[in-house]
Amino acid sequence: MLQLENVTVRFGGLTAVNQVSLSVGSGDVVGLVGANGAGKTTLFNAISGLARAGGRIVFDGRDVLRSPMYQRARMGIGRTFQIPQPMHELTVRQNLTVAQRFGTGGTDMRRIDEILEFTNLSAKAGRDAATGLALSELKALEVAKALATNPKLLLLDEVLAGLETNGKRHFMNMLKQMHDTFKVGILIIEHDIETISNLCQRVAVLNFGQLIAEGTPAEVFNDPEVVKSYTGAEHA
Amino acid sequence: MKQYKLLIPALLAVYVAVPLVFGSDNYVMSLVIASLVIGGIALSWALLGNLGGMVSFGHSAFFGVGAYASAVLTMQHGVPVFLAMLLAGVAAIVSAILMLPVLRLRGPYFALAILAYAHIFRILATEWTSVTGGSAGIANIPRLPLVASIDFGSKTGNYLVILTIVLVFAAVYDMIRRSPHGLALRAMHDSDDATRVVGVNNTLLKGLMLLVSSFMCGVVGAFNVHYINFLEPDYAFSTLWVTIPIVAAIFGGYRTITGPLVGAVVVYLVDQLVVKSIIPTGHQLVLGVVLVAMIIASPDGLLALVRKFMRKNDAAA
Amino acid sequence: MTELIMQSLYSGLLQGGSYALIALGLALVFGAMKVINLAHGELVLLAAYIGYTVESKLGVNPLLAIPVAVLLVTLASAGIYLLVGRIKTNREINSLTLTYGVGVILTNLALLIWSADVRATGSSWMQEAFVLGPLYSMRSEVLFFGVSVVLIGGLWWWLSRSWYGRAVRAVSSNRDAAKLMGINPGFTELVSFIVAGIMAAFAGVALFSYGVITPAFGGVLTVKAFIITVLAGIGSIPGVLIGAVLLGIAEALTVTLASSALQELAGMGLFLLVLFVMPNGLFGAARRRG
Repeated sequence: MLQLENVTVRFGGLTAVNQVSLSVGSGDVVGLVGANGAGKTTLFNAISGLARAGGRIVFDGRDVLRSPMYQRARMGIGRTFQIPQPMHELTVRQNLTVAQRFGTGGTDMRRIDEILEFTNLSAKAGRDAATGLALSELKALEVAKALATNPKLLLLDEVLAGLETNGKRHFMNMLKQMHDTFKVGILIIEHDIETISNLCQRVAVLNFGQLIAEGTPAEVFNDPEVVKSYTGAEHA
Repeated sequence: MKQYKLLIPALLAVYVAVPLVFGSDNYVMSLVIASLVIGGIALSWALLGNLGGMVSFGHSAFFGVGAYASAVLTMQHGVPVFLAMLLAGVAAIVSAILMLPVLRLRGPYFALAILAYAHIFRILATEWTSVTGGSAGIANIPRLPLVASIDFGSKTGNYLVILTIVLVFAAVYDMIRRSPHGLALRAMHDSDDATRVVGVNNTLLKGLMLLVSSFMCGVVGAFNVHYINFLEPDYAFSTLWVTIPIVAAIFGGYRTITGPLVGAVVVYLVDQLVVKSIIPTGHQLVLGVVLVAMIIASPDGLLALVRKFMRKNDAAA
Repeated sequence: MTELIMQSLYSGLLQGGSYALIALGLALVFGAMKVINLAHGELVLLAAYIGYTVESKLGVNPLLAIPVAVLLVTLASAGIYLLVGRIKTNREINSLTLTYGVGVILTNLALLIWSADVRATGSSWMQEAFVLGPLYSMRSEVLFFGVSVVLIGGLWWWLSRSWYGRAVRAVSSNRDAAKLMGINPGFTELVSFIVAGIMAAFAGVALFSYGVITPAFGGVLTVKAFIITVLAGIGSIPGVLIGAVLLGIAEALTVTLASSALQELAGMGLFLLVLFVMPNGLFGAARRRG
């Protein structure tokens, strides 16, 4: 469903993503890991259209390199931001209404209720999105918004970061359920190895913008190259 | 919901009571009509600011284009007046399309670019003598016609027409505001990406708001021309049509729909009845002072200030 | 024909000097405070009318009006700074509306005090012909062009060498870092308004000395200054100079080749051209997409 071929992102003299090739099929849950600054979010930016990239990005059989962000969203690329970006001045429900209306072209109130229920936001549906939610709820809203656009691919950028253990566990369950219920392909950035091992069939490792390993969680996390790249980050 | 209960009596009041009570007093009716014209412009300005997120210092461009379009259509091409007014709105849209490239400029630059456009149109109107009659202007522009035995060319008739125009525009504004498009527009001011990432085409929506705003302003300009029956470039593109609506909208509170209308009536009436008698020339000076004072004291308008004041009193009690 | 063109180029160049002073003032304030002073043109107008008043009331050469103009215009400019400083939220947009309001106040004050009549200098000394080969100008044009060159040179020196000047540049590029280095942004902003006021004062007296003035002029000047900054692109002083001269020349050429009535259109035309063809201006750094 998603094919990245030699994707490169440059900012002036800095190459943030260097010739990355990766595929995500429509049932897959693929993890994307790497030390801070390895280029993971930048890769997401390239896929969703926030950053200009070189190479080929093929989604659903179409080359989307020239498509603007909003078009990619309508085609089915959903994405959450690391720092939640709710739509200000709107309630939680309105956030979803807008996302659904523009992401799918139609309105389906039942589905919105479904998503609210699923992300545990039903009680907060009428709250102001920017000011009335706790961090875990903001993160849930990020996911809910993306779901409202009926995505075929979900890019999740560190949705668990900043949550305490209970929140994390709840989210993990939600993500597992999401994959089963909504049949989306997921590409997920996380730092927590346990989470990744639990959720993903495949893991890709970025280091300084380059893909240095790809395989099952067990393979990847025992790879000495990968461990080396992480030294100083988690496995000191 | 409470608002709708007030709506019927309010509509009755403005449509029936006002003409009944003031209809014979030409002076009062003139004041009311003029303040509604200002209100119409203020509304279109506020719509662009609120939903489009663009502050414009050049709405006189749309007003003038609408005025000239309607005048030329009725006088040189025999188009019926009401139709001409609609087409004038379309002409304003065309002029706005010319401004679309300016959308990519950031706030202050956009405001000034629109100002420059307004100047351009004024100069064009002055120089394109064959069509616009140049600086001498156009006289004897047709009045609003007789339809279904109502003479819309009379003071009361004019009043009813501009009232309807303004109310329809207010309703449209409200409709847009409540729609998903309105929601998206409001959201994109704080975060461009939050809306783009869910499929909103920000640029298109903002552009549409410019077109809607220009249409409204153009139609009001066209109405005005058939009301005063005379037109010349310095009047049509006067900075008066920039300043007064801005002061009106900010004074009344540009974030609401009623704000610009209330502001227009209050500001215009005070300006005409009070200030003009004290300072005949340069009475706009007071407008400037009001504007400056409002921005510093209460940029959300006088009503917001009053509400804040009342809340403080409630808290103290 | 070539003589006419040469003359236009020359006149345009001379006019460009004053335009540059005006545009630089606008750019300076914008750089220091990210505020566009829509009343800037009115400040120039104020200075022009002071020149008129000094000349008509005291019967002296308008040059002597300069100290008065500098004093009053700088005070007015500082006043605008104080007002802008009191804006609580949304400074970028609200400062636009506020300075627009100030502009309305100043324009109408001019209308009240000096009426709508067109004024021009009566000083024969100013109007005396100054001939340079085949090129003709009024003495005032050449004089004030020289003054502009000196002032702009001084400004350049001040911005690059003096402490205050460099502070202004620091604040405009990174406000917080500047604060950490002990620079008081508020003070540098005030300084930038004052310097802009000084330049506006000179430009105003210049304009009175070789042109005509009416109260409506203020707004037109602001628009022209803005057009020049668009032509120049962001953050480029040489760009402003060239833009100013370009505008002056375009106007002069339009008057010579087309008609004087279309003079205003020249600037607007240039503006549209840049907007559509070169949105980053002639020299500007690429602006991030809004």
